[in-house]
Amino acid sequence: MQKFHYPLAIILGLFCLLESAMAAEPSPAKPPQDAARIRQFDRNQDRQLSFEEFEEFASRIPRLKGRPEAVAFLFELHDADGSGQLDRKELQELRSSAQQSASPAGRSRSFGPDTSVRRNPLRLTIPKNKKQGKTNQQKPKSTKQKAKQPTIKAAEVEAERMSQAEQPPVKLTEQQLAFFESKIRPVLADRCYGCHSSEAKQLRAGLMLDSRDAILLGGSSGPAVVVSSEDGVVHGDAEASPLIQALRGDYYDQMPPSGKLSSQTIADFERWVAMGAPDPREGEPVPVEETPESTIDIEAGKQHWAFQLPEGVKPPSVADKSWPSTDIDRFLLAKMEVAGLKPVGDASRGALLRRVSFDLTGLPPSVEEIEAFLSDPDSTPIAFEKVVDRLLDSPAFGERWGRHWLDVARYGESSGREANIFYPFAWRYRDYVIDAFNADKPFDEFLREQIAGDLLPASNNTEKAEQTIATGFLALGAKSHSERDPRQYVLDVADEQLDAVSRGMLGLTVACARCHDHKFDPIPQTDYYALAGILASTETLSGGVRGRQVRQANGLVELPESVEAATGEPLSPKEIDQLYDQLDNLDQAIQRVGNGPDARRMRIGIEMRQANVRQKISYYHEDGSPRDFAMGVRDGDVLDIPLFVRGELKRPSDVVPRGFLQVLQQSSDPEISTGSGRRELAEWIASERNPLTARVMANRVWLHLFGRGLVTTPDNFGATGEPPSHPELLDHLAIEFVESGWSVKELVRQIVLSRAYQLDSTMSFEGHEIDPDNEFVWRHPARRLEAEAIRDAILSASGTIDLQRPVGSFVAKIGDGQVRALDNAAVQRAKQLQRAKAMARRTGNNRMQRNRNAMFPVPEAEPTPTYRAVYLPIIRDRLDESLAAFDFPDPSLVAGQRETTTVPSQSLFLMNSELVIEQAVAMAERLAEVSSSTSERIDLAFQWTLSRSPRADESRAARTFLKEFSRIDQDKQGNKNKQGNQTSAWSAFCQSLFATAEFREIP
Amino acid sequence: MNDIAQQLAMMSRRELLKTASVGFGYLAFAGLSTQAAAREAGPLAARAPHFAPRAKRVIFLCMQGGPSHVDTFDYKPKLQANDGKEASSTTFGGTGRARYGKLLGPQAKFRQRGESGLWISDLFPEVAKHADDLCLLRGMHTDVPAHSQAFLQMHTGTSRFVRPSLGSWALYGLGTENANLPGFISLNPPSGQGGAQNYGSAFLPAVYQGTPIRGRGMQGAGAAPTSQVPNIANPQLSELAQRRQLDFIQELNQSKRAQEEHLANSQVDGVISSYELAFRMQDTVPEVMNLAGETSATQAAYGLENRETATFGRQCLLARRFLEAGVRFVEVCQTGWDQHRNLKDGLAKQSGAVDQPIAALLADLKQRDLLKDTLVIWGGEFGRTPVAQGADGRGHNNLGYTMWMAGGGVRSGLSYGETDEYGREAIDGRVHIHDLHATILHLLGFDHKQLTYRYAGRDFRLTDVHGNVVKDILV
Repeated sequence: MQKFHYPLAIILGLFCLLESAMAAEPSPAKPPQDAARIRQFDRNQDRQLSFEEFEEFASRIPRLKGRPEAVAFLFELHDADGSGQLDRKELQELRSSAQQSASPAGRSRSFGPDTSVRRNPLRLTIPKNKKQGKTNQQKPKSTKQKAKQPTIKAAEVEAERMSQAEQPPVKLTEQQLAFFESKIRPVLADRCYGCHSSEAKQLRAGLMLDSRDAILLGGSSGPAVVVSSEDGVVHGDAEASPLIQALRGDYYDQMPPSGKLSSQTIADFERWVAMGAPDPREGEPVPVEETPESTIDIEAGKQHWAFQLPEGVKPPSVADKSWPSTDIDRFLLAKMEVAGLKPVGDASRGALLRRVSFDLTGLPPSVEEIEAFLSDPDSTPIAFEKVVDRLLDSPAFGERWGRHWLDVARYGESSGREANIFYPFAWRYRDYVIDAFNADKPFDEFLREQIAGDLLPASNNTEKAEQTIATGFLALGAKSHSERDPRQYVLDVADEQLDAVSRGMLGLTVACARCHDHKFDPIPQTDYYALAGILASTETLSGGVRGRQVRQANGLVELPESVEAATGEPLSPKEIDQLYDQLDNLDQAIQRVGNGPDARRMRIGIEMRQANVRQKISYYHEDGSPRDFAMGVRDGDVLDIPLFVRGELKRPSDVVPRGFLQVLQQSSDPEISTGSGRRELAEWIASERNPLTARVMANRVWLHLFGRGLVTTPDNFGATGEPPSHPELLDHLAIEFVESGWSVKELVRQIVLSRAYQLDSTMSFEGHEIDPDNEFVWRHPARRLEAEAIRDAILSASGTIDLQRPVGSFVAKIGDGQVRALDNAAVQRAKQLQRAKAMARRTGNNRMQRNRNAMFPVPEAEPTPTYRAVYLPIIRDRLDESLAAFDFPDPSLVAGQRETTTVPSQSLFLMNSELVIEQAVAMAERLAEVSSSTSERIDLAFQWTLSRSPRADESRAARTFLKEFSRIDQDKQGNKNKQGNQTSAWSAFCQSLFATAEFREIP
Repeated sequence: MNDIAQQLAMMSRRELLKTASVGFGYLAFAGLSTQAAAREAGPLAARAPHFAPRAKRVIFLCMQGGPSHVDTFDYKPKLQANDGKEASSTTFGGTGRARYGKLLGPQAKFRQRGESGLWISDLFPEVAKHADDLCLLRGMHTDVPAHSQAFLQMHTGTSRFVRPSLGSWALYGLGTENANLPGFISLNPPSGQGGAQNYGSAFLPAVYQGTPIRGRGMQGAGAAPTSQVPNIANPQLSELAQRRQLDFIQELNQSKRAQEEHLANSQVDGVISSYELAFRMQDTVPEVMNLAGETSATQAAYGLENRETATFGRQCLLARRFLEAGVRFVEVCQTGWDQHRNLKDGLAKQSGAVDQPIAALLADLKQRDLLKDTLVIWGGEFGRTPVAQGADGRGHNNLGYTMWMAGGGVRSGLSYGETDEYGREAIDGRVHIHDLHATILHLLGFDHKQLTYRYAGRDFRLTDVHGNVVKDILV
C-alpha cells in the first residue's frame, strides 16, 4: 500500500474545500446526512464509489472544478486499501475528515505545521484612543528610583498594531456601506448587541458583534465570519461562517434565541458575508485607565540576598580537621562548631546503600548489590564511590530525578479545573524529562528548551522533535478549557505559565503581581505584564476537542518525521475496527434519540463522543501506526499587552513592552527583537548571570538528598521565603553547578560523596536540644519514601516490577474526552452488563452487549500495571490511589517539596488494598520458588523488603507468626482457608513487611 | 468514664507537661503509646481542659473561596442605595484619591429574622429560620487577601510557617471520646489552598493529625451508603487473622523503636498508632458512615434527595454522626465561593447547596440536645468587596467579613461587631482570626495562652503571641 505524505497544510486545505463544497449543496449540511448525499453518486449502488463516481461527486463542488490533481489526491488519500473504490469505511473516513473541519468540534485550530497565526484575542483590549497618558512619566528622576517600566502610549501602539494586523484594511464602497447601514447594522443593534457587544450585561460565548475586529476575532467558536482575500479582493464564505450557521440554526443554538430572523434577513446576512462582511465600525474606543502608581523601590529591592549574584567564598576553616571529607562538609561543620554541635557517627554500609539507592534511583538495592557492597574490600569511601557511579549511570536515575522535576513542572495528563479533559500526548514531555536527566542534559539547556525549544536551532529532526516536546512544559498546566472569553483564556493561560516558570525556575512568586504590585517582593505590576506579554504572544497547543464544556481547544504540534525517541503505541487492526464500530453505533444512537425532553442534551453528548472518536482516528495513519503529535507552543500573533488594572480584562491601562523583571535587570540582558520574546526569556533565565536559577536548582537537589532545603521554601526565594541556613554553601553549590556545565549528575555526585550525606540517622540528645529541626545537618534524618518509591519497592520485592518503560500512557490509549467519562463509562458498563445478561437469559443472544460496549470509547482499566510508578497516568483530580495515599502533590500546582503525613488511610491501603495483597501473594510465591527453608525465606524476605537480614528477635517473631497465623487463618465465613495455609501465611508475612514503618523509610 | 481511666488520662497529661518542659515533648507520647495499656488511654484519651468547657465538640462548616458577607449575613442598606456609584477613598471615610470602582448592591434581599431580628439575606432562607440560634461575627478580619494564605491562617493561625491545625490543637487538648475513630476528621478537604497542612499536626505528634475522608462515594444523590472510605475492609482475612497480622507488624515496629532506644523517631510512633486506629476504624467507620439507619425524613431534611444539596447534605449528616460517635472536631468543606465573576448565579448556586443541609444540621443537633455543647462555626477565609469586579463579581476582602457560630456556649440571636456602612472594613467589635481561635479554645475550656507545646526550645501555641477572647459573645 502506498502511503501519502503530503504536507499536512495541503491536506487540511483540501478538506476545507471539500467541507465548504459539501455545505454548498442546496440542502443544509447536517453531518449525519452527508453520507446519504455522497451515496447518491453511487450509480451502481454497490455502496462504494469508484473514481468515476467520485469525480462526478467532485464536479459538483465548485472549488474542486478544474483541479483534477486535487480530486485525484483526495481519492487516493482515502482509498486506503488501494482497491480503486472508496468503500464504506473509507467514505466514512472521508466524511469524518471533512466534518472535522466542518463541524464546530473540528473547526478548532487544526493540527500540525499549520503556520497560519491566529489573531491574538488580546488585540481587542488594546486601547485605541489617542488620549495622552498621564504625564508623570517625565518626572525628574528622584534620588530613589521608582519602579518604571517604560510604557508605550496608545498612539504609538496604533501604528504598530496596524502594521501587524493580518486582516487587509478594507475600503468600503458606497454601495457596501449603504447595504451595511440599512440591512445589517439595525439588526445587529436590535437583536444581537444585548448579549454580544462590549455593552452587554453578560457577554455570551465570548462573542462581540459591535466592531469589525470583534466579528473577525469571534468568540469561543472561533471567528464569527470566515473571510479571505484573493488578489486584493475580499470575499467571505457564508456557508462556513458560524454567524450564518447560528442564524439558520445549524450546528449552533438558534440565534437570536428570541426567534429566528426572517429568511429575507438571513439572506441579507449571507450576502453581506459573501461580500467579505464590509463593516465601517472601528469599535468604541476602550477607555484607558491610569496605570496605578507603583511605590516599589526597585533599587532597595535589589539588596535582597537572592537578587545578588552568588559569591564564591573559600570554605571556612574548622577546628576538627579530620571530619570533613569535602568542601561541603567544611561549610557545614564550621556552622556546627559555632553552634556547639557535633555530627553523629557515620551510617553503616547497609543503611548507606539503601539510602543512596533510593535517593538516586527510587529503587531498593538488590540482594547481589547489597552483598557486593558489604563485602567490598575497598575502604568505604572508595567502595561507595563505585556504587554512586553505578547508580548515576542507571536509567532508573532519570526516572527518579525526572519525577522530582515533574513535581515542579506540575505535570498532569488532564486539564483539571471544571472541564478536566484528557491530555493524550502529555506523556511525551514526561519521557523527555526522564531522558534529559539520564543523558545529563546541561540544566541550562534543559530550561531553555522548555521555554523556547521550538525557537532554538536544531541539527536534525530528532533534536527538533525533542525541543518541541520540551515546550510541553508550558502547555500542560491546568487550564479552564470551558472559559467562554478567548481573551480571558489567553490571560489565564499566560498567568498559569508565568507562575510555573517563575516559581519553578526562579523561585519567585511573580504571579502575585497580576492584580497589583507584589505585596512583598520588588515586582511591580508592570513587570508582570511585561512577562505576560511574552506568553500571551505565544500560542499554547494543548489539544482538546471542542464541545459543550470545552470551548477552548487549540490543536497540537505534529513532530517532524523519523523520530526514534518518541513513538506512540500503534493501534491493532481490531482496535481500528472498534473505533469505526463506535462511530457506527453512535450514528445509530443519534437516530434513536428522538424528541424527548432530554433529546438535545443526549444528542450533544453523543456528538461529543463522536467528535472524540474521530479525533482519535485522526491520531493514527491508516495502517494504525501513530502520528507523532505533542503538546507544545509556538509563537503566535505577537503583541505587547496592556496592564490590566486589578487584573480585570475590562480595565486595560497603558501597554507594557515585553520584558523581564526590573529587579534582576542587567546590562547583559538579551533584547527582544523579533518574535514573542520567549527565546530571550529562556536566555535570560537559563543564564549564570541570573542570580536565582542555579541557586534554586542546587537547593532542590539538596532538598531531595537531605529532606530539607538549605532554603526551606524551595519555590519561594523572595522576601516571604525563608533565608538560607547556609548562604555560603548554597552559593558554593550554585557556582560549582554552573562551572560543571550545569551538570545535575555532577551536583548530585558531589553532595552524596560528602561525609554529611553519609552520616547516620540517629538522634543525639545534645543535637536535639540545640537544633531539633536539624538545620545544621548534624545527622542525616530518616525520611519517608515518596509514593512512587513505596509502590516500586513493593513491586521490586514481589519480583513483578517491569523496569522497561511502557510506550505512551494509559491516557494516550483513552484519547480525548472528559475525565468524568471514566466514571460514566464504568457505571454504564455495569448497567449494560446487567441488561445484556438479562437479555441473554431471555433470548440467548448477547449481541446487544457487544455493540453497546463499543459506544463508550474508554478502555477497560488496565490490570495492575507493573511498570514503574513514574509511568502511572497522572490524571488531575483522579490520582491513582497508591500515589494519593502517600502525599503525591496536587499536579495542578508547582510543588518543590512534598508533604509527609502519617494517616490511617495509608494503613488501610497497606492492610486491605487489592494491589498490596496481590503483590504480597506474588512475593510469597517468589519466596517459595527460591527456597524451601523457612529461615532462608525469612532472611530473603527481609533482604528484599528492608535491605538487611532480620535481627534475632525479628526472626523469632516471624517464625511464631507463621505458625500461629496458619492455625487461625480462616476466611470471613469462618471457613479454614483451603488453598494451602502455608501460602496464605507467607503472603500475610510478606504483606506485614510492606506494612512496617521501616519499609517506607529511607534510613 | 471510670475513675481509673480518668486518673490515667490526667497522669498522661501531667506526664506530658512535665517532660514537655524539659524538651523532647513527643518522646513522652512515644513512651506512652508503646505500652499496651496506653494504647487505649494514651495521648488520645479524653481529658479535662483548664476549666469547665462550654463546648465538647466542634463542627466547622468551612466555606472555601471567601463567601460574600455583603450579600448574605452583613446587611448594608447604604450599599444598596448607592448601587452603581463610583467609590473612592472618601466613600470609605479615608482621604486621598484612590478609586475603587463601582459599588455593587447586595445580590439578594435582606430581611429581619426571628425574635432576635437578625438581618439575613434570602440566599439563606433555611438557615435564617435558625436566626435565634446564631451568633453573627460581623467584624471579622484577617491578614492577607489571598486564598491559600488566608485559608491556612484560618486553620493554623499563620501561613508563613507550618503549624498545627485548629482541630489538632483541640484534639491535643481534649483527647478523643471514641478511640475507634479519628479524633479529628476533615470531610472533603481541598487538595490545594495549603492542602494537608490545613488538617496537619505539624510539630504536634502525628496522632493529632486530621484524617481526611474523601472519595467519590461522598458525592451525589445516589452514592452508596457505606464504603466511602477506600480499603476499609480486607477482602479475605477474618478479624482474628488480621489482628494477628497486625500484632506481627507492630512487633517489628516496636523492634525498630527499640533499636533507637530513647531516641526514637516520632514517625515510627505515628505509624504504630495509625495502624491501631485503622484497625479499629474498620469496624466503626462503616457503621458510622452507613446512613441506612437514618429515617427517610432525616435524609430528606438534609437534602439528600436533591442533586443540588445532596453532596453537602450527606457530609453534614455524616458530620453529625461522627460528632455523636465521639469525634472531637469535624470539618466539612464546601469549595467554590470565589465569585470574581458570575456573582449572582454563583452565590445562588453555592448557598443553594449548603442552606438546607446546614439548617437541618442545626435542627438535628438541637433535637438531639447536642447543640448546647457542640460549637458550630460557619465561614470562609475572608469576605468580598462591596465594589464590583467586572459587572457581576466581587474581589477578595480581608478587611472585614462575617463568620457565625452557634451552640456550645455562644450567645444566640446576637449580631456582634460591624463593618463600615458599605461592608468594606471592620470598624467595631473587630475579631481577628487569632481572636476567633482564642475564643474557640476558650469555649473548649482552654486558656489559649496556656495550651502550649514545647518544640525547638519554645512553647508554641495556636495564637502565637496574639489573640483575645471575645468575651461579649460568651453566654
